Amino acid sequence: MSDRRGLRRLRDIRGLIERSWRRRRTFKAGVIISATLILIAILGPFIAPYPSEGWGIPPETPRGARPPSWEHLFGTDASGRDLLSRILIGASVALLQVVIVIAVSLGIGLFIGALSAYYRGWIERILNYFIEVFMAFPAIIVALALRSMIGRGLMIVLLSLIITWWSWYARIAYIYARSIREMDYVLLAELSGLPRWRILFRHIIPNTMTPVIVQAITDTGGVLLEAASINFLGLGLPADYPDWGVLVQNGFNYIYSYPWISLIPGAFILLAALGFSMIGDTLREELDPRLRRRWKLWF
Amino acid sequence: MPLSLNYVFKRTGSAILVIIGVIVFSYLLLYLAPGDPAYIWAGRPRGPQASIAIENARRELGLDKPLPVQIALFTYRVFTGDMGVSIEYKKPVSEIIWRGLTASLELLIVAYIIGASIGILLGILSALKRGSKLDSTLQLAAITLTNAPSFWLAIGFIVAIQVLTGFTQYARIDQRLAIETGFHPITGFYLLDSLIEGNIPVFIDVLVKILPPALVVATYPLGLGIRMTRALMSDVLQEEYIRAAIAWGVRRRYVIWRYGFRGTTPGLVQVIGLAFAYSLIDAMIVEIVFGREGLGTLAYHIIGKSDFPLIIGLMITVTSFYIVVNTLTDIIQALIDPRVRI
Repeated sequence: MSDRRGLRRLRDIRGLIERSWRRRRTFKAGVIISATLILIAILGPFIAPYPSEGWGIPPETPRGARPPSWEHLFGTDASGRDLLSRILIGASVALLQVVIVIAVSLGIGLFIGALSAYYRGWIERILNYFIEVFMAFPAIIVALALRSMIGRGLMIVLLSLIITWWSWYARIAYIYARSIREMDYVLLAELSGLPRWRILFRHIIPNTMTPVIVQAITDTGGVLLEAASINFLGLGLPADYPDWGVLVQNGFNYIYSYPWISLIPGAFILLAALGFSMIGDTLREELDPRLRRRWKLWF
Repeated sequence: MPLSLNYVFKRTGSAILVIIGVIVFSYLLLYLAPGDPAYIWAGRPRGPQASIAIENARRELGLDKPLPVQIALFTYRVFTGDMGVSIEYKKPVSEIIWRGLTASLELLIVAYIIGASIGILLGILSALKRGSKLDSTLQLAAITLTNAPSFWLAIGFIVAIQVLTGFTQYARIDQRLAIETGFHPITGFYLLDSLIEGNIPVFIDVLVKILPPALVVATYPLGLGIRMTRALMSDVLQEEYIRAAIAWGVRRRYVIWRYGFRGTTPGLVQVIGLAFAYSLIDAMIVEIVFGREGLGTLAYHIIGKSDFPLIIGLMITVTSFYIVVNTLTDIIQALIDPRVRI
């Protein structure tokens, strides 16, 4: 039974996506950009012209930084590694961090938000306080603190982003769950003797899911940018990793002499964030009837 | 009475509570960290006397007391403006941070004056020309601007400016010029200080150096302003009272500004206020790329180092800034929009 309820919620999202696809050009553009980048992330290691250089191994015959040419479409970095290969191989790393962060924060946020709304009383008060405290923390500062405790690595990126993002989803889930908890079917379930935690998982959480998931899709661009900033500042992934943020960092010392080393990977970050935001923003506009209204100025 | 004091007190009270939560969390996070701050404070001592030195350092840092007492003491000290001494800089944390904060705030404020005002104007234009070519171009530009990584934009700016003009010096102020003209900052906001003192050469120098990074930081409020103003304005222009005003024969421009734009201000204050609070991080990143003095460069220098007092101080400052700006935004919003005052 609970499976079917979950499916119905997911169908809501599917309807929303189909509607957006039919109506909005921005959405289509976003889907095309994101799909291309995801394809690159999957195929990257196979289509990279110089795979070993992509993984960070310098070429056998040193060639130094070279500007873009036919041989090296995006040029080479300071150690002579082919930049195109580095970007292609780094795509999966850059995108995967975002997916993990969004998925985990979404899960935590949804659970805590719904719990806070449904259990009321002191649980509600304490959880809301925590949500408010964590909403104020910026991920990059948390990453800075974590960096002085543990070494560079994926863990810093993931932890700092999850610590700061879950609270936003918790807040949204809380707001929606507060109206769900007043619904008659929740009362009915309570009266029929269903334990509270089952009601939480079977009724409250599935029914608050749609807006929170849409928000999460909207946020992917932002999370990608924050992850890239953390990696760019040298707080996250190690310096030889082909993550896009790290690639920009690698070229940072040479911006006057070899600007392409930084600028080209950065353009990919922009493209990815843009693609995700185009999808998310249109979805949110379609979900909110107030934003959906389309009209021309009549006077 | 335009605004109930009760609301202000309630909002301020909850903000202070949240700030206390932030302080406690920051302290706990670093307290639970592996590695002993006392050991670092004592200067990583070795040899037979090391344990005594570490013990002294522990007492000096207050780490010998039970955890709740430590937290209470620390919170109290933070509220009195004492955040300890930076291990890396050997100066009081509050002093270093205050210096950095004024520099970053100056950048942020200049950026928002530029970005938000242009963004709002373009947003109104976009709303009035809804559905036109101009509108779709502006929307595309806006979504691109909000999604451009600021560090990348900053690098692009630096490269472009170097190619076009050869200018590469982005320090906050020309020290020699400042000394020659006898410039003495009072508030720490150099633009303001130089104006107060009537020191025009320094003012121009500071302005020229702040503009490129400010333009980079301004891209976010610019894009956001275009998008949000368009959405809010479109909403307001649908209202019954706009229709009524037009029917009464009120001039179009008057309706747009006095009825239309006036109706969007509460929403705009909310959005821009939130973005302003959030953009401090943006300003910090841009400062790092430009090599400009501020909170960002301060943080950048201690990456990977165990300067716990300064890290805690930075955490508390940046987070509290966010909370304070948010609270102020809420209060201002209540002041101009009676619907919020409940």
